[in-house]
Amino acid sequence: MCLAIPGKVVRWLEREGTFAQAEVEFEGIRRIVHMACVTEAELGDYVVVHAGIAISRIDPAEAARIFETLSESDYGSEGVV
Amino acid sequence: MKYLDEYRDPAAAGQILDEIRRITSRCWTLMEVCGGQTHSLLRHGIVSELEGIVELIHGPGCPVCVTDQPDIDFACELAQRRDVVLTSFGDMLRVPGRQGSLLDAQTAGANIRTVYSPLDAVKLARQQPQKEIVFFAVGFETTAPATALALKQAELSGLTNFSLLVSHVRVQPAMELLLQSADNRVQAFLAAGHVCTVTGYESYESLVAQYQLPVVVTGFEPLDLLNGILACIRQLEAGTARLENQYSRLVKPSGNRAARELVQQVYQICDRPWRGFGSIPNGVPGATPRMGPI
Repeated sequence: MCLAIPGKVVRWLEREGTFAQAEVEFEGIRRIVHMACVTEAELGDYVVVHAGIAISRIDPAEAARIFETLSESDYGSEGVV
Repeated sequence: MKYLDEYRDPAAAGQILDEIRRITSRCWTLMEVCGGQTHSLLRHGIVSELEGIVELIHGPGCPVCVTDQPDIDFACELAQRRDVVLTSFGDMLRVPGRQGSLLDAQTAGANIRTVYSPLDAVKLARQQPQKEIVFFAVGFETTAPATALALKQAELSGLTNFSLLVSHVRVQPAMELLLQSADNRVQAFLAAGHVCTVTGYESYESLVAQYQLPVVVTGFEPLDLLNGILACIRQLEAGTARLENQYSRLVKPSGNRAARELVQQVYQICDRPWRGFGSIPNGVPGATPRMGPI
């Protein structure tokens, strides 16, 4: 039910307010998404969409963090975290 | 798909699984709060991989399943009116009330439409001004902004034929109720990532302090879930109880301000019966009379 899918903002249709809308691409498929809650997103940003509205902008630095932790750590070898 | 595929990487998942096995000294009992997390844990075989190391109790986090039966009955009743088109999410249609499900009502001729978004129901209200378009609004805090936005758009568009049948529920009161139970075995929570995307997680501070258990905001992909489980076990093994955010690519401490404001403008919080739970204090944002003709 709380499924939310990431997509790339490719075109703004209405930038501000209750009726803010953008075209968002999900692996080649474009859909109009309501953007009233994420008006700060820029073209090329990824947003997460639930029930037709964007609920958050993905932070790329935070998205990479898990992989940095994995490559820096010694999970399973020396046992040092 | 970017931001999904990389979080399903089997090698990285194996690395985290190994670490979980390495640090775990006994079988801990965690609860993943959201049904979406349960689905992913089962689908990707994480539950069976962790058998004997972590017991995962599946949480109450499926809003359609906890929707009170009288609400479903009322929705079925509304849908039988000739001037009404009842709309809702596909998930909601199969859940039975006391006199059958919305799908049963649809088969019997009631006017019920499945929509992907409540905003699609607003579009329908524009297209069919002679009909009353009712959106059966179910869902947690993740979904409430979308239904609030639908109501606001309808109002600003001057539509008088759009209404909501509100059956939204809030997650945190249910978590608190579980912890108050004498039978509670949950030692840590994987908090629902998309709920926290909207609400933030600051409100869990009091829960962590009061019940002295780890709460880790967790996403839905295998690496997210494994990382959330690892964070819980690290705390449990160390005997600490802290609030952590393992879904920081989406979740900020205070959530999404615009979404929270929308919900506050449209809804007010009240007690609410949950199917299988009984009444949950402060469990739901109910519709406020503020929205005038709608």
